[in-house]
Amino acid sequence: MHIRKTSQVVIGLLAAATLLVGLSACSNNSSSNTTPSSSGPVTLTLWHNATSGQGLAYWQQAVKTFEANNPGVTINAQVVQNEDFDGKLQAAMAANTTPDIFLQRGGGKLADQVNAGQVLDITNLIDSNVKSQIGGGFAVDSLNNKIYAMPLDIQPEGFWYSQNLFQKAGVTASSITDMDSLNAAVTKLKAAGGTDFAPIALGAKDAWPAAHWFYQFSLRECTQDTASQLATGQLKSLSDPCWLKALNDLDAFNKTNPWNPGFLTTVGQQGAGSSAGLVANYKAAMELQGAWDPGVIGGLTPDGKNLPDLGYFPFPAVPGGQGDPTALMAGADGWSCSAKAPEPACVNFLNFLGSTAQQKLYAVAFSTIPANPTAADAVTDPATKTAAEALSKAKYTLLWFDSALGQDAGNAVNQAVVGMLAGQLTPDKALAQMNTALANNG
Amino acid sequence: MSESLSAATAAPEIALNGLTRSEGGNHVLPPSSRPRRKNSGGIRAGLEVTLLSGPAVIIFLAFVIVPVIVALYYSFYSWKGFGTPNPVGWANYKWTLTNPQFWDAVKHNGIILVLSLVMQGPLAILLALLLNQKMRGRSIIRVLVFVPYVISEAIVGIGMSLMLQDTGAVNDLLNAHVGWLSSPKVAIWTLMFILTWKYIGFAIILMLAGLQGIPEELSEAAAVDGASYWQIQWHIMLPLLKPTIKIWAFLSIIGSMQLFDLVYVIWGQYIANIAGVSTMAYFMAQNGRLSGQLGRGSAIAIVVFLISLVVAIAYQRFILNRDTEGALTEAGEE
Repeated sequence: MHIRKTSQVVIGLLAAATLLVGLSACSNNSSSNTTPSSSGPVTLTLWHNATSGQGLAYWQQAVKTFEANNPGVTINAQVVQNEDFDGKLQAAMAANTTPDIFLQRGGGKLADQVNAGQVLDITNLIDSNVKSQIGGGFAVDSLNNKIYAMPLDIQPEGFWYSQNLFQKAGVTASSITDMDSLNAAVTKLKAAGGTDFAPIALGAKDAWPAAHWFYQFSLRECTQDTASQLATGQLKSLSDPCWLKALNDLDAFNKTNPWNPGFLTTVGQQGAGSSAGLVANYKAAMELQGAWDPGVIGGLTPDGKNLPDLGYFPFPAVPGGQGDPTALMAGADGWSCSAKAPEPACVNFLNFLGSTAQQKLYAVAFSTIPANPTAADAVTDPATKTAAEALSKAKYTLLWFDSALGQDAGNAVNQAVVGMLAGQLTPDKALAQMNTALANNG
Repeated sequence: MSESLSAATAAPEIALNGLTRSEGGNHVLPPSSRPRRKNSGGIRAGLEVTLLSGPAVIIFLAFVIVPVIVALYYSFYSWKGFGTPNPVGWANYKWTLTNPQFWDAVKHNGIILVLSLVMQGPLAILLALLLNQKMRGRSIIRVLVFVPYVISEAIVGIGMSLMLQDTGAVNDLLNAHVGWLSSPKVAIWTLMFILTWKYIGFAIILMLAGLQGIPEELSEAAAVDGASYWQIQWHIMLPLLKPTIKIWAFLSIIGSMQLFDLVYVIWGQYIANIAGVSTMAYFMAQNGRLSGQLGRGSAIAIVVFLISLVVAIAYQRFILNRDTEGALTEAGEE
């Protein structure tokens, strides 16, 4: 009896030890990838969100070129779908398997990562040419005067529309300058579209596309000061009356039912049934999105090429609004190195991405506005060019509120907007829900 | 859930071999493994048992028990997954229990639980009785009924969400404009339809197995005594099927409490509570992982765990236990 028990214990311990050795061997393997090393061959992991089309091809080309120019450096690029990206990145950081190079959305999300010591401070590592060329473009990716990411584009928001469908309905985009003209355009588009196409596509299933409507109304209703306090994550309460006004504006506009049928279960960017897909296939006349949209729409057209009749116009003014009517919401996709990334390979890659030559390729592949102005002439897409002009005229630009607030409060704000659009929350209740989330944020 | 099933079906074996088993009673053993020799070779038997069950026990500890304890620990912290966790006391629990969306989710789980039993149970029994008859095409019908259960949840979710969109195939076919997924009044019924379609095959197979375990002599004897077909089903088959029904109901209840994947795939990361179909697990994923508050997510997980535990234990204690014992003795005597 006694012997038997002892032997069982021994074997149990042996088995446990084997498992532990196995587990620790695994973790050793994974951490050796991220151990800094200055010499010898290194492998870097890269996470980006370009799942298809020219964007995916861009990353393949960039990795290939960089590897060819930097013998001994291997970059293992992995695609993570946009809606899954933030959650997966956070899980990777929690498990200490942060990818070496990853997409950086800036704002509160960046601040969280910096506070946790996950992001490399690249202020003094950026190539001096690239640094002077991009200049103020680093703002979104900076915190306390330190730079944490290489911005690759600027994405001002506005309406991306089909010129053909507008023409069919007798609407001219340049005439949409205030809410009255936007409402009139919706009425005309509805009449012309019938069951063939909807005036405005909205991917509310992903929450943020709906929330951007609230951001835009806030940008117009609130003073630059008030709005930028939220856009830098400093507000703990939306006490200024302009926020409720913005929600009321959106509520009133929602009641005109301008969206595609089933907007609540429509996604933003995946497949022909998404809001971008509806515009790409002439099932909706326009949608409100950032300057990534020409590329996203282009990936969803039947031939996979950019929509030939795509146009752009900025968000209209609201009556009595305190914000500047030229101001724009804008994001910027930056690229960060993890704190443990092999150096100098990682920063070299960021400098390579920010260089004029690569930025030109980037601007073409993503049909977007490059962060490095020396590559601006590569923009050929007419709609993107219009957006770039609007950007140059904008008195100020603000970062997306959800990026600024971080994942927790940002998502809560977004969901409150969707709840209101679904008719479940009044503007007052939506505001209260946002305030609860902001008060708990930190 | 499969553990409780195998434990229940293996009960008679344990009873038969009770004497030998009691020696090793302080070890966790897979119930189906029976000692090959009695008394002789004690050390060898012990070695075998440890060797065979050891890895399973270690994996169970490492991936079930330890995570539960870790979740309990982090539920008292504000933690974003990286950086230093800040102790917050009961704040995460307070946040969860005072959140109306959480109670909405609990309510939805309750509705799904009851409706699953009410909708799937009778239908499954009727179909099983039907498929227990000798008839043409029986095996093909059995296969067809079971097919939805075999398809993965993600594929069902994507397919259903495409078909049930406002502009999807179903509305097109019916020439209707019903918000199958988006209207809060309709969405829960859409979910129930999908769940029934998906899981009824499993219920039917279970019931069929139960029916086939009932000796034919009983219904033959009843028929000789002049009982009608329905009398036989009602007075003989159904009562003898009771243990199977109770096991199925238990599995269905657990499945309802855990429901996550279909909802997450069909309604995405944000809108399930707006459509009125969010579940407790969905609420946890949304407010734990998606919002990046892993401490809060852990607190929700613990609350959900406790709720599920209470339901499962209550069912075991008050409904499953007594009748299973009786039924299984009969099964053992067969």
